[in-house]
Amino acid sequence: MKYMLLICVAEDLQLSPAEGAEMERATQAWVTEMESRGVRLQGAPLRSVSDATTVRSRGGEVLISDGPFAETKEQIGGFDILECTDLDEAIEVAAKHPVARIGTIEVRPFWRDEDEN
Amino acid sequence: MRYLMLHCIDETATFDPAEDPGVPGSAAAQAMDAWVHEMEGTGVKQYGGHLRPAGEAVTVRVRDGAVLVSDGPFAETKEQIAGFDLLECAGRDAALEVAARHPTARIGTFELRPLP
Repeated sequence: MKYMLLICVAEDLQLSPAEGAEMERATQAWVTEMESRGVRLQGAPLRSVSDATTVRSRGGEVLISDGPFAETKEQIGGFDILECTDLDEAIEVAAKHPVARIGTIEVRPFWRDEDEN
Repeated sequence: MRYLMLHCIDETATFDPAEDPGVPGSAAAQAMDAWVHEMEGTGVKQYGGHLRPAGEAVTVRVRDGAVLVSDGPFAETKEQIAGFDLLECAGRDAALEVAARHPTARIGTFELRPLP
């Protein structure tokens, strides 16, 4: 089963340079571990939500706005695509991600027969 | 330049079936197939997936060493993420143009997020 992890953190969360460096190191260690386990297929951090753009088309007109689709306290800061046996394994992998300690990780199953890559 | 394109749709809304890419055989579904075929052919679409409804989402947090698992998405918003594409585009304008041509742009919202 494929799962998407949405790595969410409050945009105003302030980490000290040492905490930021430790979070980066721990995240890289998580990536290395989960790739060697064969559960992480893809993923990347995203640039700040201040670089987000939304696109809609209504009545033939394209509407472009700055900012994310929803003004929420936590915003998506990265994503990972997992191949796991079941939801329990996906939760176990998500809980080991260092951002789980300072933010929230949303775990979303793929439609099984619509997997694309 | 790589972009994550998040497909955001109001799961509770009812759409004109012809405009809904989720309705097999609809004009919108055919337009989506054509979009995917074109964007994969030109190397713009590198990866993607459709997600099961946000009602099946769980969130995971770890606080003081305890794993906290909750049902539901991280944010209770009207529109929820229903899928995503990873795009390789020359720049922001190209990514916006690619998104605007996807039929879901007519019934939902795309959030485009550049990768570092």
